Amino acid sequence: MRLLLAEDDRMIGASIGRGLKQDGFTVDWVEDGRAAELALRENVHDLLLLDLGLPRRDGLAVLTAMRQRGDPRPVLILTARDAVADRVAGLDAGADDYLVKPFVLDELAARIRALLRRHAGRAEPVVTCGRIELRPATREVRVAGTPVALSAREYALLEALLARPGAILSRAQLEEKLYGWNDEVESNAVEVHLHGLRRKLGADAIRNVRGVGWMIATA
Amino acid sequence: VTAAVPIRSIRRELIGWLTVGLLVAIVAAAVATYLRARDEANALFDYQLAQMASSVTGMPLTARGPLGTSPGADALVVEIWNRDGVEVYLSQPQRRLPQYRQLGFNTVATESGEWRVFTTVAGDQVVQVAQPMNVRRELAASMALSTILPLIAVVPFLVVVVWFGIARGMAPLERLAAAVGRRSPSTLAPLSESGLPREVQPLVQALNGLLGQLATALDAQRAFIADAAHELRTPLTAVHLQAQLAERAGNDPERAAALAELRAGLDRATHLVGQLLTLAREEPGVIDRPLSPVDLGDIARCVIADHVAQAGAHGVDLGLAGADATAAAPVTVSGDAASLRTLLSNLVDNALRYTPAGGRVDVGVAVEGDAVALSVRDSGPGIPPAEHARVFDRFYRAPGSADLPGSGLGLAIVKRIVERHAATVALGPGLAGHVGPGLGVTVRFPAVAPAAP
Repeated sequence: MRLLLAEDDRMIGASIGRGLKQDGFTVDWVEDGRAAELALRENVHDLLLLDLGLPRRDGLAVLTAMRQRGDPRPVLILTARDAVADRVAGLDAGADDYLVKPFVLDELAARIRALLRRHAGRAEPVVTCGRIELRPATREVRVAGTPVALSAREYALLEALLARPGAILSRAQLEEKLYGWNDEVESNAVEVHLHGLRRKLGADAIRNVRGVGWMIATA
Repeated sequence: VTAAVPIRSIRRELIGWLTVGLLVAIVAAAVATYLRARDEANALFDYQLAQMASSVTGMPLTARGPLGTSPGADALVVEIWNRDGVEVYLSQPQRRLPQYRQLGFNTVATESGEWRVFTTVAGDQVVQVAQPMNVRRELAASMALSTILPLIAVVPFLVVVVWFGIARGMAPLERLAAAVGRRSPSTLAPLSESGLPREVQPLVQALNGLLGQLATALDAQRAFIADAAHELRTPLTAVHLQAQLAERAGNDPERAAALAELRAGLDRATHLVGQLLTLAREEPGVIDRPLSPVDLGDIARCVIADHVAQAGAHGVDLGLAGADATAAAPVTVSGDAASLRTLLSNLVDNALRYTPAGGRVDVGVAVEGDAVALSVRDSGPGIPPAEHARVFDRFYRAPGSADLPGSGLGLAIVKRIVERHAATVALGPGLAGHVGPGLGVTVRFPAVAPAAP
């Protein structure tokens, strides 16, 4: 899952980015409100982590504009403003959750997973598709009840495919999920990781639609 | 233990003065009444003496004996002699008067007090009528007493009336005291001025002025604390996250990197706390160190020496402007050396931070007419004039400076110190460089004569 982090403090931004990367997220980091708006227009991120006190464009303004455009992606506000009025203003402006600084990275990751899950229309913390079970909280994958060890990239690919069962994802779409702005995109990497996934999950788990992309086998 | 100072009571004092005043007035009235009554008695009794003298001359006075029974007659002594000095008549043989040869009224001292004597010649007889003076005095005294006795009786009544009157008059003061007592740091609303006596109005107005100042100061302090708490949260959040990353680190190089970041985060938090304390210390009224003559040249040289290493690390040329800077005569201002060093330190620190490598920072000390200017000029990007008004606000950071370390308090501290020294601070262009017009900060102090050596 690819997240957009809008945070103007260098130290906080770097730490959140590193911590979430360790939790298996791909994180793109912007430092002001205008950059956040530009990044949102790319439409490649699954969730926005938003600091309210952003330079150039206030976080609340970014959020309001986003909702006015009809952008439904989940937004989690990260801010030092802890007054009830601030929380209410943030949530009423269209935020899905509110976390007051300082916070624990594990809680942030858990809230992000919960938001993504709810956004996907699921209530249960386990994503299931046929024999495959994926637990985002522990990044555990089982096939017919047997745990399977996946690399970080393989896990990210599987998660992206499972997010929309039945949909065909192009190579470019899959690459977007795998790589942040600063990541070097390896050529053929998607194919290599898909090959690994098929080997571990069974050859029929992921179906290739020639010339279009890949989809998770629903049957 | 302080010596007990008797608590003064306005009521008791007023009652005391009133009583004293009344008594003095009563005594004065008594004396005046007595004196007037005595004068009148003198006139009356003198007339009586003369009457008596003229009436006895025509009477047959062959017998020695009392003189009838007319009022006050027993107090009168009548003596008659013939021309040869032979006594003809004595009304009271046991009370003899000295023979008095002078005619008319006389006051004579005898063994039995003063007497009033009237001597007249009728035919071949000398008639002398006398009366003790104390009769007159007693009469005057009793008249005076009868005048003042009712007044004395009125005094306690007046005291009681005044006592309650004062209590009524003091009631607004007591209400005011209760209203002041209800004020607390959280309720500093002004006191109501309606229904108060004119005498108390200035007090209430002064109190309201003080309450207003207190409320403003408290608000400023609350805003400062709220700002400070908010601003502290950012570096603490960073430290919090950095510590979590250090805990998570799977191997030694990762842990070392995480700890290095944690240390940087702690340095930032420490710097912010230090700046907050400096700012709090420069708040008016916190520490009123007396201002003394300070040589700005000394301060400049000290601060430059403190920052040479930092400038070297940044690749910035830091120095004192002016050709013969070292030989310059002392430039003295009235100031607090520690605060002035903090001021210049903050300015030089800012300049070094914003000036790119290869740039230059000049510290200048100059006399400009009757002012002394302390300036720091850098060849950095400068600050757009539109931002000039805001840079002295607490926690304001120039746009694009988020990646530079800093608390946003440096210039706020500078402004406080400038205000304390009755100086002014102005922003302007600095040394034009390849990144912008540069920034020049000039602090102008009122000049003072150099201290005697």
